[in-house]
Amino acid sequence: MKENLKRLFEYRELLFNLTRKEVKVKYKNSFLGFIWSLVTPLMMLVVFYVAFGVIFKLRAMDMKYYAFYLMAGILPWNFLSQTLTQGVASVVMNSDLVKKVYFPREVLPLSYLGSASFHFLLQEAMLIVFLLAFRVPLTPWIFMLPVLMLLEAVFIAGLTLLLSTLNVFFRDVQHFTEILLMAWFWMTPIVYPISQIRDNLPAWAAKLYMLNPMTHIVLMWQRITYNSPVNGPASYSMSPAGVIGTVACSLGLLIVGYVTFTRLEGRFAEFI
Amino acid sequence: MTVREIGTRQVSQIPAIEVEGVSKSFRLYRDVNYTLKERIINFRKRGYDLFWALKGIDLIVYKGETLGIIGPNGSGKSTLLRMMTRIMKPNEGRIQTHGTIAALLELGAGFHPDLTGRENIYLNASILGFKRQELEGIMDDIISFSELGPFIDNQVKNYSSGMYVRLGFSIAINLNPDILLIDEVLAVGDESFQTKCLNRIARMQQEGKTIVLVTHEANIAASICDRVLWLEKGVEKMLGGSYEVTEGYHEAMRMRPEGSEFGTREIVIEKVEILDGSGKKTTEFETGESILVRLHYDAHKPIDDPVFGFGFYNQMGFMVYGTNTRLRGIDIERVEGRGMIDFRISSMPILDGRYYVSVAAHTRDGMINYHWLDKLSYFDMHSPGKEEGYLAMECDITIVPE
Repeated sequence: MKENLKRLFEYRELLFNLTRKEVKVKYKNSFLGFIWSLVTPLMMLVVFYVAFGVIFKLRAMDMKYYAFYLMAGILPWNFLSQTLTQGVASVVMNSDLVKKVYFPREVLPLSYLGSASFHFLLQEAMLIVFLLAFRVPLTPWIFMLPVLMLLEAVFIAGLTLLLSTLNVFFRDVQHFTEILLMAWFWMTPIVYPISQIRDNLPAWAAKLYMLNPMTHIVLMWQRITYNSPVNGPASYSMSPAGVIGTVACSLGLLIVGYVTFTRLEGRFAEFI
Repeated sequence: MTVREIGTRQVSQIPAIEVEGVSKSFRLYRDVNYTLKERIINFRKRGYDLFWALKGIDLIVYKGETLGIIGPNGSGKSTLLRMMTRIMKPNEGRIQTHGTIAALLELGAGFHPDLTGRENIYLNASILGFKRQELEGIMDDIISFSELGPFIDNQVKNYSSGMYVRLGFSIAINLNPDILLIDEVLAVGDESFQTKCLNRIARMQQEGKTIVLVTHEANIAASICDRVLWLEKGVEKMLGGSYEVTEGYHEAMRMRPEGSEFGTREIVIEKVEILDGSGKKTTEFETGESILVRLHYDAHKPIDDPVFGFGFYNQMGFMVYGTNTRLRGIDIERVEGRGMIDFRISSMPILDGRYYVSVAAHTRDGMINYHWLDKLSYFDMHSPGKEEGYLAMECDITIVPE
């Protein structure tokens, strides 16, 4: 494993170049270009705001600044879903390269993580600008943003490496991922506050709900970017057990994902 | 540093690529179960056959040497090359390489259509494992070698295939790797660019770079390489000086005439004998010697007015000479039972090479073939080597100085 990591380090420039290529190419032939990276989450925001804020009146539950609450959760969610949908198929999609050129294959899924990170940072910057513009007080936790982003990146990297390996051998994985992401989205407190889960689900179901690492990650994002009292007491959204568990789970997943990937990558060229 | 002599060039004895007992098998899936459902349904069936692409290959490529790998399709040449680049891992044995490697397995692998030529140079070089600093100095060389000129800042998707090839080759060759692996890519590109590439390869040889070249054209291997490895069905058939190995390879390729036989078999040609002037069986002839082609036939029922003939063909399948009884004005009224026919040529004006012999028995109008043995026998011609081509002619040379 040490050798594999050394090899990855040697190829850091390729990772950087592929990431750059991904960023450059994504909106290359579109008129709006980079603006799309910001427009997409804003459109999602409008849709959810109208559906849940206006039609279902979640606002009635005393949710001031519901739009910001939504943004605080949607952005980190998009970070996950963007990376995962592209990263899982990355090895298969780049079969031309995998069959013809040698390089550490983990660079492929990781480059999608890289380009998604870039867009995510842009979007977070936009969120902060909006918060300032609308005079919503920033929380002192905002400085944890890089740390939290790193934690989420570790979690996503582990999952993407694992699933992209499996996808080489079972192409079902990439289709399954789409469905998984949809279900997962609603199992995470993004459009509704976590208090809904506490109040409406039986205790065992709520406990189960809290086993989802993305729940904790999104809660933390909400806590540091936009902290609403409706979201429950701070202790609920950032319990030490939840944070430690999420960190442990993310690191564990990364190790499992990385080891699986590097163990099997020698056979990729034959399978795709 | 010990040095050993290969041809006219000097090659060190420091290994650049070490291949030790390498075997590689592939699973040939009868029907690849890509989806989980298929996997589960076919869980118990072992849905593949093991196919050994390479078996027990030992090889050391020395620093500064140019090694050619030849063999027919499916002999494992490309698999061996791919394992040298680490794209695939061997099942048994190990491969060690010393120094930076650039491989030309397919030109332009890894080009992104939406990026410009220049941007693709950076991307492609880093895919091959080279750093940005290493690239700065040679950027201009790459662009000028590729002859792309102003097009270098256009998106690659607008390139012609020739431009694509030139850019790919230019990158790999200008990165100046210690080891360059080339797989059948010399055949692409126009002739002037090909010559340019070969010149560049010659320069790399002088600079002491190690080159491994996979090709099924033995002539290219013979002209460029110091040594040649000949693979046949995944095993080493021969390894040695490029001339001996390519000769042997040519020879073996000739051993497989695409012979056939057909006909109604009302007359059967049971045997064809190739004899020399004294009636001794042989396949070796000198230019100018006499030859006797003897047919043994068996007519199972009486056949009226048959025609017997023969032809000599060169390796390309062109007829060099042929005739038959009808053309020679010999009428055979009827044949029944066994017999033999001799065609005697008193002097063969044919030059070096292997020639295949076809013989036939058919009707006068040629509409019905009784029996036709197509290129099933052969003989080899040897000439003193004073001329080239197929035919021996008398040639007097007069030099008249003014």
